[in-house]
Amino acid sequence: MTTCTTFWRTCRRFADARLRALHHGLLAAVLAVAAVAPAVAQDVPADVLLKPAADSWPTYHGDYSGQHHSRLAQITPANVHRMTLAWAFQTTLPQQIKATPILANGVIYLTAPDNMWAIDARSGRQIWRYTYPANDGFKIGHRGAALRGDLVYLTTPDAHLVALDARTGRVRWNVEIADSRRGYWSTNAPLVIRNHLIVGVSGDFDNLPGILKSFDPETGQLQWTFHSTHPPGTPDSISGGATGGQMWMTGTYDPESNRLYVGTGNPTPVLNGPARAGDNKWTGSIVALNPDTGELEWGFQAVPHDTHDWDAAEVPVLVDADFGGARRKLLLQASRNGYYFVLDRVTGKNLLTIPFATVNWAKGIDGEGRPIPNPDKEPARDGRLIAPDEAGGTNYRPPAFDPATGLLIVSAHDAYGIYFFKPEHGAVGWAGADYTVYGRGVLRAIDYQTGKVRWSHDLHGGAGAAGVLTTAAGLTFTGDSANNALALRTSDGTTLWHSGTGRVGNAPITYELDGRQYVLVGGGSTLYAWVLPALP
Amino acid sequence: MLSRILWSRASQRLLGVAALAAWTAAAVYAQGAAGPGVPTPAPPERSQQSPASQRPPATKVSQEYSAAQVEAGRTQFASQCGFCHGRDAAGGAGGTDLTRSTLVAEDVRGDRLGPVIRSGRPGQGMPAFALSDGDLAAIVAFIHGQKTQAETAVGGRRGVEPSDLQTGDAADGKRYFSGACARCHSATGDLAGVATRHQGLVLLQRMLYPGAGRGGDPPRVSPSVTVTLPSGQVVTGKVAYRDEFTIALTDASGWYRAWPASQVKFSIDDPLQAHADQLGKYTDDDMHDVLAYLQTLR
Repeated sequence: MTTCTTFWRTCRRFADARLRALHHGLLAAVLAVAAVAPAVAQDVPADVLLKPAADSWPTYHGDYSGQHHSRLAQITPANVHRMTLAWAFQTTLPQQIKATPILANGVIYLTAPDNMWAIDARSGRQIWRYTYPANDGFKIGHRGAALRGDLVYLTTPDAHLVALDARTGRVRWNVEIADSRRGYWSTNAPLVIRNHLIVGVSGDFDNLPGILKSFDPETGQLQWTFHSTHPPGTPDSISGGATGGQMWMTGTYDPESNRLYVGTGNPTPVLNGPARAGDNKWTGSIVALNPDTGELEWGFQAVPHDTHDWDAAEVPVLVDADFGGARRKLLLQASRNGYYFVLDRVTGKNLLTIPFATVNWAKGIDGEGRPIPNPDKEPARDGRLIAPDEAGGTNYRPPAFDPATGLLIVSAHDAYGIYFFKPEHGAVGWAGADYTVYGRGVLRAIDYQTGKVRWSHDLHGGAGAAGVLTTAAGLTFTGDSANNALALRTSDGTTLWHSGTGRVGNAPITYELDGRQYVLVGGGSTLYAWVLPALP
Repeated sequence: MLSRILWSRASQRLLGVAALAAWTAAAVYAQGAAGPGVPTPAPPERSQQSPASQRPPATKVSQEYSAAQVEAGRTQFASQCGFCHGRDAAGGAGGTDLTRSTLVAEDVRGDRLGPVIRSGRPGQGMPAFALSDGDLAAIVAFIHGQKTQAETAVGGRRGVEPSDLQTGDAADGKRYFSGACARCHSATGDLAGVATRHQGLVLLQRMLYPGAGRGGDPPRVSPSVTVTLPSGQVVTGKVAYRDEFTIALTDASGWYRAWPASQVKFSIDDPLQAHADQLGKYTDDDMHDVLAYLQTLR
């Protein structure tokens, strides 16, 4: 902690000095000094995640809070239009980059299904590439890697967890998370909490219990399994016959209370509601777990009895801030079902439920703050017109929380879909049919206390794929639904910079090396690194 | 044949308009269709084009594949295609049921499927796949195998049949139509005979938002734009591309022309916007009623 803080101050001093130097044209000497300053340890201790240094983005969300907010302020609203390309790294895969890179020790770790690259964060040069053996798991996307000590972790399409030597990319060990032959796969960016490596899986096309596992980060030994739903036939199961509730997104963590917060996915069978009466706990929920044991502390259902494929897997953003006049430990989630939730993360009690995108599926809010699904909006033989569609009011793309303005900035989606279910569709996996009718992507800045939308920014197309990053300088980085990486003024959403990089499919990150702030954004299958211009 | 011609035209337009999209548009998890102003470049297959046929289109040329090839294809298909199209090719998260696809029915050993798989359908969220010839052939073999199975199976597992969609009241639908739709449409004009051209789910999708969803028919109308240049010159055409920074059109001669959005004045006339606006106004009964009415326009 102390080291990090000291380092941070040192770094900031260099950054400030560099900015002044830029103005006075005296850059070279400063850069030379700054370049030798970050003499960091090579191993990445587990506790760096408590307060990540400016020269790192050591975990999927950047830190444990899930705020996707950086203290870096060298790139400002006044100079962002001068950003220039430091480097571009091409994966050479046809698939768009969907992973958020992580960074430590000047090395970036970027993933795609079956792939991980170690990349020099200063030059964009590939240091090594690891390719996982051929397998028949889904290659739909990958969220990112995790890093601890000298190991970097990759989840695979066939639901394995592979530990690689962070220096060489060589396999140290490889364990199965779940049986891919039953229909599990994993795109998950694991979360390191001290001596725990928390890993989730996916699996919507079969009726599979919802599982989150913790592994020993050094050996790959299983430590615990949390079931959001249990195998069919489990005594005392509270899911009402539902399976599913997969925890495929990376959770967040509050070190003070030692609680892990994770969103759970939709129930299976997906569109067949009659097969699973009741609320189907804990699907479509935010759950608070003890990371040492996997025990449930509390759960809040964002979607009781979901029949529309609406995960509550979106990032549970942890914020300590005023609410209703008192300082509180809050959890914010803009959920796929189109509602924004504020919870007291100590008790799990709901403080606010309000739509942030077009919704027509609930007939009210119950006493616990849960939307009440309208039974008439369950999928039916002759079709039901539902907002949002299957892609949801938002999705996996992470939002950002800007503490200065109190805005949660979310890539929202106003959309309609038609949903069908008839008994002939059966009760396994999808068990129904649904089709998107229309959708429109909009970036929305939500006042965290009221849920009111302070500003909107049209994304010019359907659902966006880009996550959001805010910085202390008052900048918001994201991408639109067309072709552009964007920098906006956080306070009002005005565009200050853009680049037609190809569609952004990941969440931008930022870090500072050698006194320079870098902003990394994936566009198409290329990872772009932007900086302010340096003198030659 | 019609669809083949449209496809090749659209391919050319796609190359000219949005080459970048080909490598950026990898299928996003459960993403919906693009909104208005982003033209759908690739016309989807016409799965229920023939008014006489409510059955899935039958395979045109019967083909035999080795069991080993089909098995190899099963593995490849599961990992590359299965998320969207289902492991059994009968539809998954967002992707069409390939066992009911006209493209598959018309395909002979990959002559139709190969180009689509290799190039993708960026406008509909399908990425391009870089596959070896062997892997591609195996995937094609597997798809044909699944189609053969589906043709002999009873009932569509994830299908929506026209008979499922007969709950509306045509008289009520007619009343709704005259209030909400008649400003742009006429039962004796553009919609005369619409029910002989489209049935069932396709008609419903077109009614709600033409071009909706993957596998939906392309709209017959597209947004047009009038651009006024700083010189005062006025250029009109169909919107070819639109984002926050660029406005582009295809002019009457077929040329693509683009301008920085901030340096010209332009106004877009999107005839489909009324469909988007209507989505928030329909009750489910309204939707079924209007469909029932459209089904009478034979």
